[in-house]
Amino acid sequence: MSGRVLVGVKRVIDYAVKIRVKPDKSGVVTDGVKHSMNPFCEIAVEEAVKLKEKKLIKEVVAVSCGPQQAQETIRTALAMGADRGIHVEVSGKDYDNLGPLHVSKIMAALAKKEEAQLVILGKQAIDDDCNQTGQMTAALLDWPQGTFASEVTLEGGKVKVVREIDGGLETVKINMPAVVTADLRLNTPRYATLPNIMKAKKKKIANVKPSELGVDLTSRLEVLRVDEPPQRQAGIKVETVDDLVGKLRETGSI
Amino acid sequence: MLKVLSALRLSYLNSLKLTARRSNFSTECLYDESITKFISENTEIVVDHNLTPEIKLRLFTPNCRFWFERPEFWPFEDPYWAIYWPGGQALSRYLLDNPGVSLGKSVLDLGCGCGASAIAAKLCGANRVVANDIDSVATLATCMNFKLNGLESPVCVTDDMIGSDPGNFDLILLGDMFYDEALSYNLHTWLEDCIKTHKSQVLIGDPGRAQFEELAFQSRLKKLAQFELPKPVREENYGLNCSSVWAALCKPRHLSGHESF
Repeated sequence: MSGRVLVGVKRVIDYAVKIRVKPDKSGVVTDGVKHSMNPFCEIAVEEAVKLKEKKLIKEVVAVSCGPQQAQETIRTALAMGADRGIHVEVSGKDYDNLGPLHVSKIMAALAKKEEAQLVILGKQAIDDDCNQTGQMTAALLDWPQGTFASEVTLEGGKVKVVREIDGGLETVKINMPAVVTADLRLNTPRYATLPNIMKAKKKKIANVKPSELGVDLTSRLEVLRVDEPPQRQAGIKVETVDDLVGKLRETGSI
Repeated sequence: MLKVLSALRLSYLNSLKLTARRSNFSTECLYDESITKFISENTEIVVDHNLTPEIKLRLFTPNCRFWFERPEFWPFEDPYWAIYWPGGQALSRYLLDNPGVSLGKSVLDLGCGCGASAIAAKLCGANRVVANDIDSVATLATCMNFKLNGLESPVCVTDDMIGSDPGNFDLILLGDMFYDEALSYNLHTWLEDCIKTHKSQVLIGDPGRAQFEELAFQSRLKKLAQFELPKPVREENYGLNCSSVWAALCKPRHLSGHESF
């Protein structure tokens, strides 16, 4: 096994920012808005770095698809302990239309190229909430997948994944190479310390174009409209139970 | 709290920049007691686990607060000077092993960081040493490190010297400077100029950084030495096993019949 782990890191609007919809309803406002690494991607990076510290794998490669600013996200991963980065350059309209299917094709191509033993992704991104990239990547590669991971253990050439599912926890054992997606309780990501931030500035980030990986970025989806969630309506106050029953009859609820 | 710290940091940095600007081309290191105290409190004197145990340096170690502390609390520019980079280590090692290279020469350590290469040159009898770093805290740390090794402070310059007239230095030292695309490009252009006009000898220490390997300049470089990095350095700098020293030639390697120095 190559001992190489690929980790996808997505640059998203920071979780603490109040999202505003553009006046033309074509999307949300991103200009001048604070961005950071998707929280589930941070958990993915942390897990990969932990595996390396336990000497179970040899190298962590952080991958991000996007415009120039995606390099900042890669640098954060490098500062957390990833060894090198790959920036897949996607900008302009291509970037606006970039979705899980494109990213999965890119990740699959890179996983093959880098001879990765493991691909670790966040379970979903907090901007689109798709929860598709991990699953699609595994399908494209025809690799097994352990999604919604709350625990990952490498045992004798296989991966044991404890999954968070609706009914509780499910444990699966899958062969490597495999795709794992990180859920909230997998770990607590470290913050980058000063020495590591500086070392990250000297680590290598390679630039790749999607076309070099044989990936076509045409979108089969068209976003028609983006709206804010409906405003919460004011309630009506009543004095007595009879008034309440009366009001309910009025509005046709009973 | 963070906003207050950022504001404090900004005003501190601005006051430093003002101090730095007052320095002109040949001034002694500007001594600032509070920053010196801060450097002392937040670094440890290191004498081993690197290529030059002969040189004492104030660096970050696991015993220092900022090895673990939240980076937002650091009040100055990124402290590149608090790490002894593999490229600089190789360069300093080469200078110490070959004292004739520095003896009697006027030396410029560009991007001196902790000042190790400048110290190595001085220990080998360099006539005049100028330590240059755009971060004035780095030049302060360099002065402290000079004193630590029983040497008088060097001349410090905090102007960005890349692109300017290098003023007839015999020897220009570049320790681990080719890590950034823009920086590498600017250095490359300036160095060609230095060699042509001033016949300065340029020595580069590099552990095989991507930007260095991809330099068009490569055909003008001759490898002088290669050192295997000690285990602690390899562990701290994953993927790097050795570090080399290169000399820049006046003519491309395939055209030059002999060395330029």
